[in-house]
Amino acid sequence: MKILSVLLNLLILLTTLAYGEDQYKFDLSETEKKPYHFGGYVEFRPIVFWPDTNATQYKLNYYKRDPGGNTEEYNAKLQFEGSYEKEAARLYFKTNTDYKNYYFGESEHSNLYEGYASLKPSASLKVDAGKRTFKWGKGYAWNPVAFIDRPKDPNDPELALEGYIALSADYIKSFEGPLKTISFTPVVLPVYDHVNDNLGQSNNLNFAGKLYLLFYDTDIDLIVFTGGSKTTRYGLDFSRNITTNLEVHGEFAYIRDYQKNFIDSNGNSFLSEYDARSYLLGIRYLTTIYTTYIFEYYHNAAGFTEGEMKNYNSFIDKGYQSYLSTGNDAVLQKAANLTTNTYGMPNPMSNYLYLRVSQQEPFDILYFTPAITGIWNVDDKSMTISPEILYTRFTNWELRLKAMFLIGGKDSEFGEKQNDYRLEFRVGYYF
Amino acid sequence: MRDILKIFYILSILIISIPAYAAIDGAQLLVQIDRNLNPESYEMYRKLINVEPDGRKKEYTLFTVKKGLDKVAAVFLAPASEKGRSTLRLGDNMWLYIPNVGKPIRITSLQSVIGGIFNNADILSLDYSAEYDVEKVDEKGSEFLLYLKAKNKTVAYDRLKMWVDKNKKLPTKIECLTEAGMLIKTLYFKDHKDFGEGLVRPSVIETDSPLYRGYKSIMIFAKIKKKNFRDEAFTLTFMPNIDFLRR
Repeated sequence: MKILSVLLNLLILLTTLAYGEDQYKFDLSETEKKPYHFGGYVEFRPIVFWPDTNATQYKLNYYKRDPGGNTEEYNAKLQFEGSYEKEAARLYFKTNTDYKNYYFGESEHSNLYEGYASLKPSASLKVDAGKRTFKWGKGYAWNPVAFIDRPKDPNDPELALEGYIALSADYIKSFEGPLKTISFTPVVLPVYDHVNDNLGQSNNLNFAGKLYLLFYDTDIDLIVFTGGSKTTRYGLDFSRNITTNLEVHGEFAYIRDYQKNFIDSNGNSFLSEYDARSYLLGIRYLTTIYTTYIFEYYHNAAGFTEGEMKNYNSFIDKGYQSYLSTGNDAVLQKAANLTTNTYGMPNPMSNYLYLRVSQQEPFDILYFTPAITGIWNVDDKSMTISPEILYTRFTNWELRLKAMFLIGGKDSEFGEKQNDYRLEFRVGYYF
Repeated sequence: MRDILKIFYILSILIISIPAYAAIDGAQLLVQIDRNLNPESYEMYRKLINVEPDGRKKEYTLFTVKKGLDKVAAVFLAPASEKGRSTLRLGDNMWLYIPNVGKPIRITSLQSVIGGIFNNADILSLDYSAEYDVEKVDEKGSEFLLYLKAKNKTVAYDRLKMWVDKNKKLPTKIECLTEAGMLIKTLYFKDHKDFGEGLVRPSVIETDSPLYRGYKSIMIFAKIKKKNFRDEAFTLTFMPNIDFLRR
């Protein structure tokens, strides 16, 4: 109730602010370019979880505790960004601080998301040095060709991500005719202690490159990554409007000598090495009443099979039983370590469908966008369904109410998550 | 004798009238209107304002560059929530770049990146003569009424009815219609202003729509300057850097 009261007061304040604005005018000082810019984003995001006490993830996280019903989590985010520009040079940074107050206590994590220097001697050439994101790929929910980006969360694919330290360049050339644009982006990525060390094996200098073509009105990217930190991998993606309101896109990734670590139900580790071929196909369709459908199929060749996931869940169950009978949590600790880097990653299995339906401004309500998103694990038939409403009426404010229902049977990905459903409210302010 | 005089009178009127209509070359007039509105290649600033029935409003500031017949790009300067978002149009292809998303995504002309009555085709508009053929020109007192038909199915509005000031050769009102003749929105061109270099044109476009009853959207123009840019500035790779073009 206290939260509701705070939110209600916030909405009243926002409404008052909006009414209080002056008549419209275009002050030309708004068009003057300043050499510097400073801004940011602050967010408050409370969540209520309804736990699934039979799920393996619940057992793994709460085996020593009993939250006794619903749990609440209070998240806050603060981001600063700034830039300084002088002639062809520009400095840019973006920081991120996440604060979480939840059942297990508090946590706070701050880091530099991006911080780099750019030199742009002409419209055709740009050189960047520092920490930055690349965001390669055309998929909305997943990007198998994003070899030099951190994995995004398919439940919130538009969230800002932390970058990697790199030296990169963009060279662009335009033409007349069916081939309208070529651009080439070479990237050098060092991986050493404390430098990109979660990209792969340390003490290696890696090279990546992207060749972009706008050919017959189709966006095409050819991508490569090589170096000692990860095995060599190649990517291809495309995007094209079939009609004005129908877009198709796809990605294909070929990873040589991919090494997959997995366990059996007793926790014995195995290593499988193979060439992994992942791909994604998707469409984006806008109807005449402004309903947007985004539909994607993703095959993740690096993902776990249904059997491998079942073994992982069995291992946790055994660990939990062992803990109950002996008080020894060694097996659960091992399972927790496996969860962090492999089994617990977003959508770790092999085949997924994604559907998002959003309606722009229904009932003539401006800045109001209801949407529903479904992610379906094709292998184990589990799914998440997430209805949401987004309201951006107030300048620089963003309000979102989102629920998520996790549906699935025993040993399925979403059926074994620690919650049955969750309700989240997000209020964000840009400055 | 009276009949002969009557026939002679009617013939005389017809003979006088026909050259007057024939003298109006619709296509040429439309090109002239385009050039009176903007240079073929330019940079400009715009403020877009969505006004709700109760008077509440939301404002956006954009920097826009255009080159030739089919290349337009724009970057949002304000508000803070939109800053850095950029849009690109190459002929029928449109993209939106959102800094957080970090990569351009394809969008369609009927969507609106800002919400409200202005859609992407309005925000990234090309020359009218690049997208429409003139079917007919009527004279309505001090105005021409041009009936325009889209050159292909990818154009946002199938038909336009454009009222044009005869002397200034500038539009005063445009009705945007579906193929069946249903009104989608009306644009009103207001407040003529001297932008320099001989460009005198409306500085405000106001629009309303039967699809958004009680709402209106306003576009205010500033600093329209003839300027040429390299083709490379109108590419996906360049989209995060459009602000670099502001000097």
